[in-house]
Amino acid sequence: MKFLFLFLFLVALTGCEKINEIFLEEDLLQRPPAKRCADCHAEIYKAWKESRHAKAWISEHFKQESENYSKLKCLPCHAPHQVDPLEKPLLRVERRHEGVNCVACHFKEETKAMHGPYKVWSPPHPSKEDKNYTKSEICAGCHRKTYKEWKLARVQTTCQQCHMKVKDITWIMDKFPFLLFHTRKPLHDHTFPAGKATPKDLKTFLTEEGLKIVNVGIPHNLPTADQGNPKLYIIAEVYYQNGKKRVIRKILSPQSNTALRYLEPYNIKIPKYEEVEKVVLKIYRRLAWKKERELILVDELKPFKLAEK
Amino acid sequence: MKRVLLASLILSGFALSGEFTLKKPPESLKKYYPPQSEKFEFLNNMHTMSTAFYAVQLNINDGNWEKATQWAKKLVETYKKTAEMVPEWKKYFDFKKAEAYLKAVESKNVDSVIKASQELGKTCAKCHQDNEIAVKIYYRFPNFSEIKIEDPVEFMEYELEDFMVKLTRSLQALNVYLSQNQPDKVQEHGMNFVERARAVKEMCSKCHTDKRDVEAITGKDYDQALNTLEELLNAEKPDFNKIKQITAKVTLTCYTCHNVHYIPSKIKSAFSK
Repeated sequence: MKFLFLFLFLVALTGCEKINEIFLEEDLLQRPPAKRCADCHAEIYKAWKESRHAKAWISEHFKQESENYSKLKCLPCHAPHQVDPLEKPLLRVERRHEGVNCVACHFKEETKAMHGPYKVWSPPHPSKEDKNYTKSEICAGCHRKTYKEWKLARVQTTCQQCHMKVKDITWIMDKFPFLLFHTRKPLHDHTFPAGKATPKDLKTFLTEEGLKIVNVGIPHNLPTADQGNPKLYIIAEVYYQNGKKRVIRKILSPQSNTALRYLEPYNIKIPKYEEVEKVVLKIYRRLAWKKERELILVDELKPFKLAEK
Repeated sequence: MKRVLLASLILSGFALSGEFTLKKPPESLKKYYPPQSEKFEFLNNMHTMSTAFYAVQLNINDGNWEKATQWAKKLVETYKKTAEMVPEWKKYFDFKKAEAYLKAVESKNVDSVIKASQELGKTCAKCHQDNEIAVKIYYRFPNFSEIKIEDPVEFMEYELEDFMVKLTRSLQALNVYLSQNQPDKVQEHGMNFVERARAVKEMCSKCHTDKRDVEAITGKDYDQALNTLEELLNAEKPDFNKIKQITAKVTLTCYTCHNVHYIPSKIKSAFSK
């Protein structure tokens, strides 16, 4: 408490600018390591550490896919120097092992300040309110393909609304007593979850034209990736009235250009439709960097005509 | 005339003889290529020397001996540095010939320059004849042996070569059952071929990060051909002739890619063993 009064006294005495100078921590303007940011933003750091962004460079999957970092074109997005809206970043020189780290997204060379969505007074480092952080365009420099798909979907929902949801209304910096000088704000999820489609996101129909699957809930292709190759596995067990069974398998992926487009039906031809009794449909997904498949939908469909009877 | 002869030196390049052997490049070269280095130091030296060699000729033809000497110095300096980079290849370099070349340029005597250029050029040509193709394949071509593809029919991951065998077998089975007039088998193996042919695109994007490159070969036409083939295969009474026609269209893509990638990948694979 004494410290607080002393601080307020100093502010009154010298003004905010002087305080900025006194409390400025020079190293924060020298592109510090992510751990340094954790001194004041421990919660955000903890979340980021769990994220794919933190593993963007060191992930075994990336190491393998980039042939031990020899595919140079891939590298800038896995260790960007500065993330700007719609711009493909340059490859960072220092601490590439941190992947998409704090300074890559928040520190701007032009202003020598930390940018973010809020207007804050932060004496240890200059801060700039930057509304780009609330828009999908900030993600588009690296997630180009997904951004284009999202644009085609023509929805209002931004990347951040699904992949950086508000976790809490709290202090975005959590170092006592400095947090007392801030108001609580929405704290966005810095684990950047990939999200998982649910049965509600997929509509299925069985008609004469075939088995139709429509992505009605995810406003970009499902699955989506620029260079990675996440997959959907479709297994349709077709049961015929004569007791025979046929299994149709499909893999949908961004790299084979077969991913489910938003609101665009994907059609699987069902041979001898007239004789079909039912179709048991299972859809699994596999994230690009994972081995295991996860079930996202099980459905049993009857031919349209039979259902009418 | 002498100047024309001088210019023709560089244009002749390094021709290979009728028969030659490819040798695996030395390990010491590795440090000048990704992933160990992103600067391509060795290759850049080659470009520097090649440019300097031509710059000397250009300037002599222009009568600018001062600039020609500057370029010759740069060439000799880079030549010496390069000799130290790969110890296994030091024997290819002849410093006396490099010095003689520099002296010839300094003497401003075109005859001497032609003679010395030819002598120095031979040392470059010998190394290029023995190693250039092998180095390009070993260090610049992708390593197909590490690519894995998930088979969309079996949902199993295979090495590229094994996957390609499966793809080929699907196509062959389709052709066999077409010729035997067995519609059910045509449908089954035809669909396996369609799904596997679609998965081929996954492989392209592992190296071709610019989508336009992938689109040029396995783009809309390829997708459309596969969609048409799928429709034909799923028709109540499949039209075998149309299936054959569209299959031939799809397989054109095989040739296109193989013409570019197949031979280098085989050589690189042999080097890796």
